[in-house]
Amino acid sequence: MPAIVMVLIVGVLFYLGYRYYSGYLARRVYALDDDRPTPAHTMRDGVDFIPTNRHVLFGHHFTSVAGAAPIVGPAIAVFWGWGPALIWVVAGTIFAAGVHDFGAIVVSVRHKAQSIGTLTREVVGTRARVLFLLIIFFLLTLVNAVFAVVIGNLFVANPEAVLPILLEIPLAIGIGQYIYRTRSAALVPSLVGVVVLYVTILLGQALPISLAGIAAEDGLFTERNIWVVLLFVYTFIASRIPVWVLLQPRDYINSHQLFIALGVIGLGVLVGWDTIVAPVVNDQAPADSPSWFPLLFVTIACGAISGFHSLVSSGTTSKQLDKESDARYVGYFGAVGEGSLALGSILACTAGIVATTADWHAAYSDFATASDGATSNFVNGVGHFAANLGVPEATAVVFAAVVVISFAATTMDTGVRLQRYIVQEIAEIVRIRPVSRSLTLSGLIAVLIPLVLALLPGGGDAGYTFGVLWQLFGTTNQLTAGLALSVIAVWVTKNRRNPIAVLVPLVFLVVMTTWALIDNLITFVAESEWVLAPLDAIIFVLAVWLIVEAALALRRARGVARDDAGDPQPTELTER
Amino acid sequence: MTAGGGLRRLGDRLVRYWRRFERGHELLLVSRWRQGLRREARRRDDTLRTLLLLESLGVDNPVAYETLDAVPYLVADFHEWHRRMGRDEFGDAGVCC
Repeated sequence: MPAIVMVLIVGVLFYLGYRYYSGYLARRVYALDDDRPTPAHTMRDGVDFIPTNRHVLFGHHFTSVAGAAPIVGPAIAVFWGWGPALIWVVAGTIFAAGVHDFGAIVVSVRHKAQSIGTLTREVVGTRARVLFLLIIFFLLTLVNAVFAVVIGNLFVANPEAVLPILLEIPLAIGIGQYIYRTRSAALVPSLVGVVVLYVTILLGQALPISLAGIAAEDGLFTERNIWVVLLFVYTFIASRIPVWVLLQPRDYINSHQLFIALGVIGLGVLVGWDTIVAPVVNDQAPADSPSWFPLLFVTIACGAISGFHSLVSSGTTSKQLDKESDARYVGYFGAVGEGSLALGSILACTAGIVATTADWHAAYSDFATASDGATSNFVNGVGHFAANLGVPEATAVVFAAVVVISFAATTMDTGVRLQRYIVQEIAEIVRIRPVSRSLTLSGLIAVLIPLVLALLPGGGDAGYTFGVLWQLFGTTNQLTAGLALSVIAVWVTKNRRNPIAVLVPLVFLVVMTTWALIDNLITFVAESEWVLAPLDAIIFVLAVWLIVEAALALRRARGVARDDAGDPQPTELTER
Repeated sequence: MTAGGGLRRLGDRLVRYWRRFERGHELLLVSRWRQGLRREARRRDDTLRTLLLLESLGVDNPVAYETLDAVPYLVADFHEWHRRMGRDEFGDAGVCC
């Protein structure tokens, strides 16, 4: 099947989802009301609370939620064939991610734009606040671990990308300083930055940087592991630098790269008219491969549904919403944008990387090879799409590697910054004052735990452990989404509206995530993985805790809704 | 219409489009970062305001005389500050609202 046909079919399904399903959500489930002033107006302060044009707000929201995660998950998951991955991305985006992202904005807007963490305590219960912190802690730990491995693998596979990425750091700092000192608009310096970055790709091709000469073949000091250690040293330092020095100007470059990459994939597929050579269902997978059910639903988190989005929806987006009806466009359409990135990843790994089905089976011969090479497969696929547009293929592959590494590096930088706060907050709760009061100590903890996880396999079959680490990351992401959906479901129920549209993805996610955790736990114990097994067990306990809290909160909410049905006076717990 | 005049009008129009694009770009990519900087500036202002108003909190301010000059600069946004702190009106009549 030509890849463009898949693009058109998914495009139509996303359109129908946006047109009809998000319309149903807006009218019947979230009951949007444009006469109700939003916190951006009632609490306007010109800094956090500021009414913003919906297209601009969509841009803010989308660039905040889009990153490398919706690329890596589908690139691994096509191991089971493109059919299951595509169905989950499309169904997940329409019936789960859209409901979740849209709902998180609405609930937050109706509660003075409070963040989902605060709402969890208020709507679900005080204990749930601790649960939320623990889930976020494991989510960020695994985010930092998996993205360090992703970058390490890409550096090993594409030594030509190392120099451009190294030069991007002083380039971004220079752009930031220029804009800051001259107070000029960011457009021209950012575009110059993107052009210079792509020129350095040519330099990188002339001067590839490889650590193969000083690295061991296997064991702890493999080339990838040395890169991982260097990355965490870099991240520890970068996360201590004020955001406007490096993170902010690099984001200017990255935002342009996001749109360039999406354009290259779309145009490349159209111009090249590539055919999908991967099978719908992979019937040549080895017999001992992990089963797609239920692992598919934690392998693809971002791109189908991601709990991280609820943090952005309630943290910043809800404070800038001009009117309630904008939540539909910003939230639901943001989820569709993320789903489109996942579709791009599926296309790159099924139509872009190779020309024949036999070659595809070689690239996805087993789960270890598939997960280890997933990001490289995406990079090669996008490189092929860029080559369709006339860019030399070798240069195009480095371009794609630079895009993915830039996203992943920014995610790590942000992840360590956030993790520091979470570590400090947890330390405050358990009264470990030296940690709660020291940025250095909390920063070290934020870096060392994921470093250990990233180095865990000690080389050798690193790919298998990466795939498993990725799935563990997926479980924490899905639990965050579960928590946000619980908050939304409780709020909808309390307001005597039908919560079925929220409950279905909530129950589905919780069941699949718990199932996947049990499935993995059995494997870890059988294979004596004595670091991953306890980690999996802890996340499993968090999942059970979430189920209990959500069930109790929903039961209470139904009681409140029943009481209110006999009492016309709204209570404090209902609509605000 | 001369060719030169036509070119000038075209140039003006292109400059207008470019400026509009630049404004959209600032709104889309830069404003959310600017908000972060404003937030940080506001946090520092709040710290300074707390230090200047120590005496109203019942804490001795040993440099009250020296910092008195700075108080008028903080009165302008005092109303916004106490609303942000969760008080719709500020205690004593005549202070601000």
